[in-house]
Amino acid sequence: MTPEAQEGNIFTSSLDFLVNWGRKNSLWPFPYGTACCAIEFMSTETARYDLSRIGSEYVRFTPRQSDVLLVAGTITYKQAPILKRIYEQMAEPRWVIAMGACACSGGFYDCYCTVPGIDHIIPVDVYIGGCPPRPESFFDAMFDLQKKVEDESYMKQRAERLKEQIEDIKRKSKECREDLVLRKNEACEMVSNTVRSKVNDVLDVFPFKKGR
Amino acid sequence: MNFFETLFPVLETKFNVEKDASAHWDHSVIAKASVLRDLITFLKNDESSKMEMLLDIVGIDYLGFQDYESPRFAVEYVLKSISRPGNRVRVKVFVSEQDLEVPTISNLYPIANWQEREVYDQYGIIFTGHPDLRRILNHVEFEGHPLRKDYPAHRRQWLSTNDFLLPALEKRLESKGYKVVERSKEVLPNEDEYLTGSIQE
Ligand code: SF4
Repeated sequence: MTPEAQEGNIFTSSLDFLVNWGRKNSLWPFPYGTACCAIEFMSTETARYDLSRIGSEYVRFTPRQSDVLLVAGTITYKQAPILKRIYEQMAEPRWVIAMGACACSGGFYDCYCTVPGIDHIIPVDVYIGGCPPRPESFFDAMFDLQKKVEDESYMKQRAERLKEQIEDIKRKSKECREDLVLRKNEACEMVSNTVRSKVNDVLDVFPFKKGR
Repeated sequence: MNFFETLFPVLETKFNVEKDASAHWDHSVIAKASVLRDLITFLKNDESSKMEMLLDIVGIDYLGFQDYESPRFAVEYVLKSISRPGNRVRVKVFVSEQDLEVPTISNLYPIANWQEREVYDQYGIIFTGHPDLRRILNHVEFEGHPLRKDYPAHRRQWLSTNDFLLPALEKRLESKGYKVVERSKEVLPNEDEYLTGSIQE
């Protein structure tokens, strides 16, 4: 909105720090597990590896309440529209992890039915190789994602969003104004037409005035 | 004595079947499509065989097979006996490319319903008399039959919207005595969106 929000000053950068700190330490995953990789994710959740150390133990099975879409498994063409819809239902900010060779590239399913990488459908933030990846590499990916979250500027995004909104509002109000002017002219014309016809009617009734 | 040695002469006289020379490890007979239903009924019910279980229905495409001419396709039924453990038999029916029809056995074995749908989906073989011959593995917008040898294995086909399953669900509910009183607006498909959704190639 104002240049103030875009510039990094003490207030905005500390707010960024605070927001990112909160976000990165409580990334709630949505496990979109379609195949064997999902089993490996389960073991990441267990006491032995303990995903709650980085605040991500709270697995949500609804896209409305989760931050990270974790695609673990093979995505077929029949599955693709569903995955896309789930992604579209997630609220911003959202991130995507492609777990395993299948989600990254289709893996060894090089055939008529498997999507060759989910990045054909949705944007991906972190890829994890392996078939299946070990829990350690999953943690590695989470740390990468945390770094990425840390770098994002909440205030900058907000400023951009606001700028977009204001431009939207401006555009819309301009349209409205033009519309209004158009309609005002139309209305004026209509009124003047009726007045003129009324006057003519009156003149018809009192023809004596015509002669003058 | 091996059960097949007593069973085979009966089948030979009754249904005019042949032994499959290519079967080395199990018992397999080749039958004509016209006697298939009678043959399977016999194998299922007769005291000498009692094949109560249909393990699988398999399609085969012989295109490009070494030293082999026609017919191009075959359908195989793998049967197993439960009351006489260990007894198994395969029934093979050849199907030519011009006439892709085989009678259904889905009223003999309920599982054959889905297995026949799979063979139809992957090979395009038509099971006459099947109650609901639709694709089962591939999506509704798929063209062609992917396990045929002349289907390019890498030809990928995108699906634009997921299948709308509510009509099938409602039909099932109604068959069980429920009635649809009202549908919420959200579950009804949008005419513009249906099958032209957000995924593009
Ligand atoms: S990458 Fe390997 S382990 Fe993971 S879903 Fe694919 S086949 Fe299964």
